[in-house]
Amino acid sequence: MAETFHLLLHGFSIALTPFNILWGLIGVILGTFVGVLPGVGPALTVAMLLPLTVKLDPTGALIMFAGIYYGAMYGGSTTTILLNTPGESASIATALEGNLMAKNGRAGPALATSAIGSFVAGTIATVLVTMLAPLVIEVALRFGPAEYFALMVFAFTTVSAVIGSSTVRGLTSLFLGLFLGTIGIDSQTGQSRFAFGVPELLDGIDVVVLAVGLFAVGEALYVAAYSSRLEEKIEQLKGSLWMSKEDWKRSWPAWLRATAIGFPFGSIPAGGAEIPTFLSYATEKKLTKYPQEFGNGAIEGVAGPEAANNASVTGALVPLLTLGIPTSATAAILLSAFQNYGIQPGPLLFQSQADLVWGLIASLYIGNVLLLILNLPLVGIWVKVLTIPLPLLYAGILVFATLGAYSLHQSVVDLLTLYVFGLLGFVMRRWDIPVAPAIIGLILGPLAETQFRRALAISQGDLSVFITQPISATVLAVSALLLIVPLVVSLVRRA
Amino acid sequence: MKAKPAELVISLAVLALGTAVALGTTRLSGAGGYARIGPNAAPAVVAGGLVLLGLWLLYEALSGGWHNSIPDQPEARGEHRFYASAFIWVSVGLFAQMLLIHRAGFVLAQAALFACIARGFGSTRPARDFAIGIALALGVFLFFVKFLNVNLPAGWLKPILGTAGI
Repeated sequence: MAETFHLLLHGFSIALTPFNILWGLIGVILGTFVGVLPGVGPALTVAMLLPLTVKLDPTGALIMFAGIYYGAMYGGSTTTILLNTPGESASIATALEGNLMAKNGRAGPALATSAIGSFVAGTIATVLVTMLAPLVIEVALRFGPAEYFALMVFAFTTVSAVIGSSTVRGLTSLFLGLFLGTIGIDSQTGQSRFAFGVPELLDGIDVVVLAVGLFAVGEALYVAAYSSRLEEKIEQLKGSLWMSKEDWKRSWPAWLRATAIGFPFGSIPAGGAEIPTFLSYATEKKLTKYPQEFGNGAIEGVAGPEAANNASVTGALVPLLTLGIPTSATAAILLSAFQNYGIQPGPLLFQSQADLVWGLIASLYIGNVLLLILNLPLVGIWVKVLTIPLPLLYAGILVFATLGAYSLHQSVVDLLTLYVFGLLGFVMRRWDIPVAPAIIGLILGPLAETQFRRALAISQGDLSVFITQPISATVLAVSALLLIVPLVVSLVRRA
Repeated sequence: MKAKPAELVISLAVLALGTAVALGTTRLSGAGGYARIGPNAAPAVVAGGLVLLGLWLLYEALSGGWHNSIPDQPEARGEHRFYASAFIWVSVGLFAQMLLIHRAGFVLAQAALFACIARGFGSTRPARDFAIGIALALGVFLFFVKFLNVNLPAGWLKPILGTAGI
């Protein structure tokens, strides 16, 4: 523990250099600004801003990304509360009570409890990441390819089959992503797969192109076609921004409970922040002394889900940094940001790139403080962003989103691919097929394949290696149960 | 109840993709050295999965529709009817960008994209939109080229933009 503290202090000495503070500050400002834009969730924000970091050194770039990652979530809460358009599924629970509070003229306290709650949860969760990461690494250093493969299968199961309204549609999305992941040169034999002689495809499909296509182009096509002519109602920010004594009293316990719910969900690869936000909402609804306020704008109903969201998103950094396994679309894009620098997160990263990792973790503490300062007094500026008319807003989003995809290789093929993924995103949105599993499948699929083949190379082709080693056997069994039990239940119910 | 055409089409598309991947897999080498499996193993798993999922989706579509699907009437989703013109304008903007970016250059391509998207979202002032698009794209262009050292095509505006860009 003392050693961890020492490493963290060293991290602060890196994160607090003037340039790194500057990158962190630019990151949180850009992240908040883009996150506030309606229809732009954290995953798209990170994907869109990726090209900005091409010329930075890895530490500075990743510190900026951590800022964008957090900023996008803070910004998203503002939009959710004032506009009732949750930019991602993890914000739906916040939208329930938050928008009602805004409608009742209590937008100020709703924004305050969400910002302070995010700060409290984010900071506690960062402390937990700091303490937990070295422990996970101890274990992970003993993992072989079979264990990694099993953990990746577990992550696939939770992100596709457990979350969302339909197991089969979640799995379809996952396999689509896995297919896209096989396109290009096979890393182990150099054989080209499904590239059809197109040189641009040999390098594989870039996760940024897929994410921007599904989230930005698909979203633009969908919103233009189905909701661009609706009247939008932005709730005004009137009255005091500050929370009353009563508001504080009701928010505190909700923040802490939500942190306890959110962090574990993020840190075991259990798929995203959606479940903990709803769990927190349900918990607060059950425990509140003011049940009549739920459905009319109860402050606990904003405080809880927002804190749960932040705690779980921060918790997701544990599997991302220590195992290299992303558990949300946003984490998947962060992983690709690492890979762009030739860095593969995992236990060895903490040894080979200690400066980078601990600088990044320290910058999370700083980022949370910056965001609290940035969001509470300056919320009026962010609210102005919401008054940009929809046509100009989406036109601007696409100018930046396509720039992100184009500047990767300066290629028109990428723009065409982007449009194809846009059509795909439209279809997936319209027929309720989740997109996050496809993004995670694309980035994690090739890694899982590599581990699988490594495991078999060690065992000389003996498949039993996955079930004779206790850890991998257990993890695979749990994954199978997660997949099979709900199926059996639904079959029994119908019979 | 009659099966919904869209659900049938998507289910069959997944099935077709799975079959196509399976056919493509047969042309891949299976040599794998010590691992005894080669570059064709993962595509084979993907193909199998997609075929199974396609059949599963097809089964759901034919036996009362996909489970927990969202309503087909836009009004029930809190949306308005499908505006084909909006969909087309957004598409036109993206194709205009593809055609223009290496000829007319980044600034004009992005401005055209901007104007088309705004048109798709109901703006009725194309000249204003194009002007805003030019200003925005020019700002981005200069930032990327001068500050980030990322080259973007200058195209027709090369005489004005000078040495910046490619």
